[in-house]
Amino acid sequence: MILFETQSRYELGVLTLFLLMAHVCFAADASRDFFDAAARMFGHRRGGLALASIGGCAGFGTISGSSLATAATIGLVALPEMRRRRYSDALATGTIAAGGTLGQMVPPSAALIVFGIIAEQSIGKLFTAAIVPAITQTLLYCAAIVALCRFRPKLAPPTARATWAERRTALIRIADIGLLVLLVIGGIAMGWFSPPEAASVGAIGALLLCAWRRRLNWQALRNALSETLRTSGMIYVVVVGALIFSVFISLTGLAEQVAHLLGAVSDNQIFTLMTMAALLLVLGSVLDGLALMLLTTPILLPIIESIGLSPIWFGIFLVRAMEIGFVHPPIGMNLFVIHDIAKDVSLSRIFKGVLPFLAADFVHLLLLILLPATVMWLPDLLGQ
Amino acid sequence: MMIASGKNEPGTVFPPKVWNWLFNLGGIALLFAMAVDTLAVAGRHIGIPLPGSIELVQAAILVASSAAMLSATLADKHARVRLVMNRMKDGPLVVLKRVQAVFSVLFFCALATGSIWIFLDLWGGYEESEVLRIPIAPLRIVCIGPGTDSGPVACTDKIPRDIV
Repeated sequence: MILFETQSRYELGVLTLFLLMAHVCFAADASRDFFDAAARMFGHRRGGLALASIGGCAGFGTISGSSLATAATIGLVALPEMRRRRYSDALATGTIAAGGTLGQMVPPSAALIVFGIIAEQSIGKLFTAAIVPAITQTLLYCAAIVALCRFRPKLAPPTARATWAERRTALIRIADIGLLVLLVIGGIAMGWFSPPEAASVGAIGALLLCAWRRRLNWQALRNALSETLRTSGMIYVVVVGALIFSVFISLTGLAEQVAHLLGAVSDNQIFTLMTMAALLLVLGSVLDGLALMLLTTPILLPIIESIGLSPIWFGIFLVRAMEIGFVHPPIGMNLFVIHDIAKDVSLSRIFKGVLPFLAADFVHLLLLILLPATVMWLPDLLGQ
Repeated sequence: MMIASGKNEPGTVFPPKVWNWLFNLGGIALLFAMAVDTLAVAGRHIGIPLPGSIELVQAAILVASSAAMLSATLADKHARVRLVMNRMKDGPLVVLKRVQAVFSVLFFCALATGSIWIFLDLWGGYEESEVLRIPIAPLRIVCIGPGTDSGPVACTDKIPRDIV
């Protein structure tokens, strides 16, 4: 029953079609364009290429929806450039590993879609709610880079300033993808179309854009479709597993018992959330992101609802905790992705480079806990 | 890119035709869903609504997702806890992969059993969608596919050749 119900859900089309949009945009070489534009704008500042990498990750995140894909694609473009300009290995690799996690937070995000399906929440509302946290996360990463470069200027030497003509050319190159992303995310936020429709419009737009850039051919389309099918197939199985698991959890009454246990220790909301954050971070350091979501959502979501917080807020909080797991040993998948690109940089050095960003991550997580309005403000403002 | 090149994935016993067939089925369904949904949006905004578009998209996504799940199994792309597997030596790794394959087979067989059970349970009645009256029974058969096919695939493909 769950298999048929899940597969025939209209909302599940969002996932597949957004993945198709992302894979078609890969074919259009969007990752290089995003980094180039950001590098032309900020590259001349001390640490400018690191800032550009974060900007490139955030920009690419709007079409990718995956941490690993964002880290891998931006890493291929930005790492050689930073190393050529004598940036510290630790800073260069740490920036990309941390920046890659933005792919998971910036809408449209595959993790938010999966959460929306598992928790039966509005995917459009989740996307809108993720906008402010994605911006604050980007700003905190930029602040970490600026602070590092101020105290240790040798980490990132300044580079030549691009002319305004070069900047204009680079910005024009990303204008088409920028407009597409604005249409897709803006359309959902403004209520012009539902998330599944937005995904279809986005996929068609990406195909047209790829054709406009003369990069659309039969081989590129086949690659995009087969990659989309394989990735979405993997996620479908996780979703089906999560839904079956949640039925068992509700039958056993485990969520109620955990809520009762937490309530017996303290009825303070902040304490409960801090405990959850600690649990998610510990589990996130040994579990894959989707597995973490699969295991914890059925248990923690009822607790969140019982203490009067929005499931939408929890979705953002959970994805944020998942992201930290991507750069946190022992799993830290993004660290391994970057290590694959820069094999001569040791994992311990990459981890050292990630530490300032991990500090920014913890500050951000604390901000989400202490100020839930950072998540809920925009959906409330737009009346979603 | 295995499907695109038409060659077999390393370790798989399934011929390229299976991959091509799956790719064509899933790809066409995906493109169909994309086109219908976009036409529905355009139609709604210019005052020519497309009734039943959601039902068409649902059916297409069901076909695409069935092909996708099987593709992921064939390509051995399912999620796993790599923390444990990546740190294992050859001997224990072989045992662990065997255990993993057994659990995969059990999971997919359970899915297939449940789907077949529901299908047989509803065999006597006639289900159809509300607007376009699309018969549901063929879609239920498509849905049984990933479970029934992924079980044997996981059994034969996911266990390394040296074990089989």
